[in-house]
Amino acid sequence: MIAFDHVSKIYPNGTVALKNVSLEIQQGEFVAIIGLSGAGKSTLIKLINKMTDVTKGTLIVNGANVSLLKGYELRKFRRGIGIVFQSFNLINRTSVINNVLAARVAEMSTLATLFGLYTKEDRILALESLHKVGILEKAYMRADQLSGGQQQRVALARTLAQSPKIILADEPVASLDPITANQIMKDFKKVNVEENITVIANMHHVDMALKYADRVIGINAGEIIYDGPSANVTEELLKKIYGRDITDEDIMFKDQ
Amino acid sequence: MHPDILKAYQSRPNHTIRNLILAVVFIVVIGWSFETIVYSGINPNGVIIAKNILNAMVHPNLDWLLNFNRSGTSIPWLMIETIAIAFLGTLLGAILAIPMAFLSARNITGKVVSGGGNTLISIIRTFPYFILGLMFVRVTGPGPLAGVLTIGISSIGMISKLYVEIIEDIDKGILLALDATGATTFQKIRYGIIPQLTASFVSAAIYRFDINVRNATVLGLVGAGGIGFTLIAALAVYRWNDAAAALWGIVVVVLLTEAISNAIRSKLVSG
Amino acid sequence: MNKKPPRPAKAKSTRSVPRRKLGPFLRMVWDHKIVQKVETRTLTLADGTASTRPFSFQLVNFTALFLVFAVFWDMIVGAYFRKTSLWLFFRRVPNFFNILEKMVTTLDFAYLGNIIDPLIDTVQMAILGTAIGALFSLPVAFLASQNIVKNKAVSGFFKVFLSLVRTFPTLVYAAVLAFVFGYGTLVGVIATSIFTFGIMTKMLYEVIETLDLGGFVAIEATGANKVKAFVAAILPQIMGSFLSFSLYNFEINIRASAILGYVGAGGIGILLDENMSWREYGRIGVIMLTLFVVVILIENVSRYLRRRLS
Repeated sequence: MIAFDHVSKIYPNGTVALKNVSLEIQQGEFVAIIGLSGAGKSTLIKLINKMTDVTKGTLIVNGANVSLLKGYELRKFRRGIGIVFQSFNLINRTSVINNVLAARVAEMSTLATLFGLYTKEDRILALESLHKVGILEKAYMRADQLSGGQQQRVALARTLAQSPKIILADEPVASLDPITANQIMKDFKKVNVEENITVIANMHHVDMALKYADRVIGINAGEIIYDGPSANVTEELLKKIYGRDITDEDIMFKDQ
Repeated sequence: MHPDILKAYQSRPNHTIRNLILAVVFIVVIGWSFETIVYSGINPNGVIIAKNILNAMVHPNLDWLLNFNRSGTSIPWLMIETIAIAFLGTLLGAILAIPMAFLSARNITGKVVSGGGNTLISIIRTFPYFILGLMFVRVTGPGPLAGVLTIGISSIGMISKLYVEIIEDIDKGILLALDATGATTFQKIRYGIIPQLTASFVSAAIYRFDINVRNATVLGLVGAGGIGFTLIAALAVYRWNDAAAALWGIVVVVLLTEAISNAIRSKLVSG
Repeated sequence: MNKKPPRPAKAKSTRSVPRRKLGPFLRMVWDHKIVQKVETRTLTLADGTASTRPFSFQLVNFTALFLVFAVFWDMIVGAYFRKTSLWLFFRRVPNFFNILEKMVTTLDFAYLGNIIDPLIDTVQMAILGTAIGALFSLPVAFLASQNIVKNKAVSGFFKVFLSLVRTFPTLVYAAVLAFVFGYGTLVGVIATSIFTFGIMTKMLYEVIETLDLGGFVAIEATGANKVKAFVAAILPQIMGSFLSFSLYNFEINIRASAILGYVGAGGIGILLDENMSWREYGRIGVIMLTLFVVVILIENVSRYLRRRLS
């Protein structure tokens, strides 16, 4: 469970990214965070795995107070959280399978990492992860030679290889065309439903968010404007969240 | 589904044996190479000399360094002479390399002739430029002219190799287009080939010039002029401060040359 | 009333270098009538439109180059022929070809026995020098890379230090270090290592600075510490280039090693020195033949391996 308790994030240059945010996310939920760029969506996600620090308030993730985590404890904590990036962040000039296996190095010795001494269990786990996202046949190809959608799937498989409880996604489909984006979101949904992994996705395409997430959190200028089922999101509500009318840029499938 | 995963696991590319063999070969080769070093313990004299040299590097002979007259003990003059040797030598080599390269380009002369040309180029490249220097000294007597000739002939090797790569990369399309307008062979060469080549040839020559400046600093050893002789002479009589002056001269010249040649080459690329 | 033909539009002169970019002195030169006339040509077409060829630096460059050439030529070639007559020079030219002929025709194959050991020394020096230089170049290359070491001052410092290391050819290091380490192959190995270190660091950091560090961020986010993330996400991207550069440097070092003996650093350079002094050109020929065979062999193997690496 993830619990934000009156959390604020103020950057050193004075920007207030999040203002007094309180919310709870239970294990297994599929949450989409929407709002303008710079509204605080990215910050919210990055706080969860401590890629950035809480300034005020308390953040408890699965029983751990995130602000107190550091060193070995922090690394152990991060093993249970997977994160998918907009730019995929794969390792260049390396095969797909090695990219997924890299998720295991957190639990291996440095020497084993250097020589690529993965166990049979690791390799099977990596192959299973690839299979779950449907690109098992590409396992031994070079990752940077795949299409954008396939690369994002490799990234998703990499997080699955961590056997995480939570998957964070920072604009996971923003770089993809609409059809591929749908496929990826379906993969997220499948993972969420079949393995009961909490999925928290940061999205700037409103229609995708509403289609796949059960719960939507709308942020405007660092404050939560809406936190509830995606079914209840109306056009007026969206106007409040975005502070303006919804434009074409906010929609993935333009002809709806 | 599970059988697919099992199949993928079993068919995984396994280079363990190959990597192990390579690692062993590598270790053996390195280990064997160590045999050449005869280690007779740390020489206390050596430590003293090292200290003296380092000390001298911080106190180079300023008389020499700032002596702007044309004499054998003027570092600036020797630096300029060294650059002159490298410049003229590179020019000579660049010009001679042109016919050499055309002869050795597979798309110009065909497999056999170009093969022969390439072998000749390899021979020239492997010819130790020191021996060449000594041979030219027999012709011109000691002095910078021998240096120019040495650098000229020895540069042919690498410059030709670079030229050949450039020639083999020519865009044929332009030639076909010129053909279609009814151009003669000479016109095709003049308007189709030469413009493509000039910028790259000049760039290659400047690259070699950079290296030749370094080589020229050393040719003084065989009496072919430049700063090298002064350096070795000073070292031979343990005059560390004089040697340091020469070394600093080399540093300044090489850095300047590198900066200028980089600037020119990037201008060439951006057109 | 007769209509006057429209005045030809004054064509805007397009320049490859805008005038304001030239310094005041250059502007003065460029504006001068003569330079303008030579450099920019205006063509007037039949219908009155004019086109001005833009200013190019070609003529200026060429003149400068020619001046430099003239000065250097006089300094060396001119000075030489002022002291030595042309006739004397041409009388000595055959010397070169005599030596060359003797090298090729009087090959002393009996000498081969003396060559083997020093030749092996030469190869070993090159191998060790390349290996040691390459080994140290990897960590330092990272220190000189701006995208790894965020601090520009630190990476800049290393880059400057490395360009200083690169200024001396292997022979100079060998000549100076011979006084510290004594004569023998040890000096050769050290000099080669330093030279290789200088070149490889530059080649490496030029590659490192183009690397995509996204994978590193991602692996760190999975809970790996910085070292492991580095090993897993960054090293694999550079290994291919590292090995390729090492082989390339090995090819260079084999040739350089052959000469090191001249300053006492071991290898066949010593033999070359001796035999040139005794004018034993037949033996020089054999030495160079064996050297040539070895170098060709190594080059071909190296080229094959390098192709496999990409």
